[in-house]
Amino acid sequence: MKIIHTILMCFLFVNVSNSQERFLTKNGAITFFSSTIMADIKADNNQVLSIIDASNGKMAISILMKSFMFKKALMQEHFNENYVESDLFPKATFKGEILNFETLKDLETKLEVKGLITIHGKRKEIIIPASFTRSENTIFVKGEFNLLLSDYNIKIPNVVAKKISKEIKVSFEFNHKPYKK
Amino acid sequence: MNNKKIITIILGFGIVSLFVVYKIYNKPHVNVSDVKSDIIITADKIIDDFSSDEMKANKSYLDKIIKISGVISELKVVKQKGIITLKTNHDFGSVLCHLSDKASRKMNSLKEEQTITLKGICTGFLLDVILVKCEIIN
Repeated sequence: MKIIHTILMCFLFVNVSNSQERFLTKNGAITFFSSTIMADIKADNNQVLSIIDASNGKMAISILMKSFMFKKALMQEHFNENYVESDLFPKATFKGEILNFETLKDLETKLEVKGLITIHGKRKEIIIPASFTRSENTIFVKGEFNLLLSDYNIKIPNVVAKKISKEIKVSFEFNHKPYKK
Repeated sequence: MNNKKIITIILGFGIVSLFVVYKIYNKPHVNVSDVKSDIIITADKIIDDFSSDEMKANKSYLDKIIKISGVISELKVVKQKGIITLKTNHDFGSVLCHLSDKASRKMNSLKEEQTITLKGICTGFLLDVILVKCEIIN
């Protein structure tokens, strides 16, 4: 009887440690849009790293600025060299916590993620609403929010000021899988 | 007569400068397959360089056209775009090569464990070294 009990406990323990696994994606997608009367600008990044610790709802995201792909090469050049200065600040990061993560079930759930976002070397506290869907081996996260360029000390020269919106819409989609290795 | 000449010159100048501005505004992206690679390296060496000194590696590799060779550990297609993972001697990091649209269509002919050479643009290091717009060399 005791042996059976021990074996059962072992199984339980294994299960518990499994459910504490980290979920991760190395090819998350982030897109940003700037929309003005003069021009619509869009850039995609499909190499975003996002990690969720399913045991406590902590979330961490790393973004390579040079991975943002624009339709026009000149815009991509200006973005990297003049606006976000990606040689000085090659990454943008987010570190935070998914609020009420324990309420997440397999149904699509709207939750908020609260944390610190760092872009262009400027750190700011932010709350991002997102929709979460959890299944046995995925945590899918999707959402969008707006950023003010002035919050991150990103200066746009007057010549092109009319073509670039002061507020940038950011949308994201991460399909996290359990981390193995 | 003199006036006409001046107007023609100004007009000509205007047209030329408009053309130049238009060309600069619409300048194309680097075509990876046509451009000579800046650096030829193995997957092991590039991950070594990034994990030992990321700042220094950023300076030498970012935005460069890199010809990289290694052994395929994983083949994946996400949103119709191919991603090839190259093995390294590090426990965690590997090299992720995101293929161009053209190269993604040639994914079928590849197998895991196969040695491959790719050419792409390095955008940096997260858990892995990341190359985008990769073309398959052989």
